[in-house]
Amino acid sequence: VSRSMAGEKDFFLEEKRFKQYCEDFVKHSQQIGDGWEWRTSKDLGDGYLSKTHFQVRNRHIPSDLEEKNSDNTEPTLFAYVEEPLDDSQAAGAGSTQEVVRYEYHVLYSSSYQVPVLYFRACFLDGRPLTLDEIWGSVHASYQARLQEGPWDTITQQEHPILGQPFFVLHPCRTSEFISAVLGGSEEQHRHTNYIILWLSTVGPVVGLNLPLSYAKLAPEQSTNTD
Amino acid sequence: MTDDKDVLRDVWFGRIPTCFTLYQDEITEREAEPYYLLLPRISYLTLVTDKVKKHFQKVMRQEEVSEIWFEYEGTPLKWHYPIGLLFDLHASNTALPWSITVHFKNFPEKDLLHCHSKDVIEAHFMACIKEADALKHKSQVINEMQKKDHKQLWMGLQNDKFEQFWAINRKLMEYPPEDNGFRYIPFRIYQATTERPFIQKLFRPIASGGQLHTLGDLLKDVCPSAITPEDGERKTQVMIHGIEPMLETPIQWLSEHMSYPDNFLHISIIPRPTD
Repeated sequence: VSRSMAGEKDFFLEEKRFKQYCEDFVKHSQQIGDGWEWRTSKDLGDGYLSKTHFQVRNRHIPSDLEEKNSDNTEPTLFAYVEEPLDDSQAAGAGSTQEVVRYEYHVLYSSSYQVPVLYFRACFLDGRPLTLDEIWGSVHASYQARLQEGPWDTITQQEHPILGQPFFVLHPCRTSEFISAVLGGSEEQHRHTNYIILWLSTVGPVVGLNLPLSYAKLAPEQSTNTD
Repeated sequence: MTDDKDVLRDVWFGRIPTCFTLYQDEITEREAEPYYLLLPRISYLTLVTDKVKKHFQKVMRQEEVSEIWFEYEGTPLKWHYPIGLLFDLHASNTALPWSITVHFKNFPEKDLLHCHSKDVIEAHFMACIKEADALKHKSQVINEMQKKDHKQLWMGLQNDKFEQFWAINRKLMEYPPEDNGFRYIPFRIYQATTERPFIQKLFRPIASGGQLHTLGDLLKDVCPSAITPEDGERKTQVMIHGIEPMLETPIQWLSEHMSYPDNFLHISIIPRPTD
């Protein structure tokens, strides 16, 4: 087990910077129609990033279901996912459309001073996916990486603002792997959008992909975070 | 003068007399008698109710039994909150025994975490301890411990072994001699009336001038509505382990002596009874 030794730089994220990076992130998301929004809590003024999308798990999608943005208050996006049918699916279930609604929230942990990814998924009838079902939808190569990666594990936890059950990627080793990814000094990376870096690494593990255009979020485009 | 260590024992051995009744719509083959139990304040519902489950399963058909869950006056009880916190928050000013309703069907997915095994409770308990140490010691103390020490904390809780637990937990209550307390205090403040389940913020036990911050200072900073108006009739009670500590109590002392085994101070803000 590798641990941060005393003196080794861990990249911690202050809450103010977290909010600023999230603001820049949402701006870019709006430009490219990626569906992220910031939600502020009414009582204490803290908040979180939120995105909902639908995954259709089937090959034969009628064309009118693709790329549909509805008029609901929450931006809804369809991600067409083509997956090879495994044995359980091949046995007669191939023509069933399984639509899963995924909801992702990015919150700030003041205890660990890092962002934390919360998510939940349910079928259209409201039935929530179990952790096993969520695992089943993660691509095999990511499953292997998650098991050896430093973000430990996914468990069910209470959402600290909404009070409802969500799945969570454990945050306690986040700063460790961020520093491993970044290398160099915190000084050098003052303008790197921590949220983009972190989310592009952990997101895909749980079915959340960031379009490459986020990488274009150059320091000059970020508002001064000092 | 009571030794501070006596407080640790009083907290550990606190019990709540409880009456468990099976939900009337559960399908039974015979009448289900209520089950009485003294619940440890510092433990978790799903850790200490094996006998309750067995008792009711005896009068039910196998196929009618799925994951057990508990409810008080219509509110599903979060098993991942310590029992004492649940009682203080929901039922402290009602007559004993605490009446809890037992369910085996229609698990409320939107309200409760699943608890399919003791491993889930252990993982949750250890995650809380680790988070508390991240706040107190930047995780240094918990990370320096061996796996067997972590196990001993869990086994101490599970088997109600005060000495076994505190042999390890005392290390989590230490701090460098040059400091006068922890880096930040692990606490959560609960109010049944809010959608937000709890308030948790960074709070230092020592002020910049070296004075010890008090419980009152914490509340003023984080939840001022709990202690207004300052003079005259206060509408709320600030409760920890079934008592109202004086607001002048140093928060460092409270953290060392009245935290739950997960190393958090779980504080309830409840309406003051108007009798």
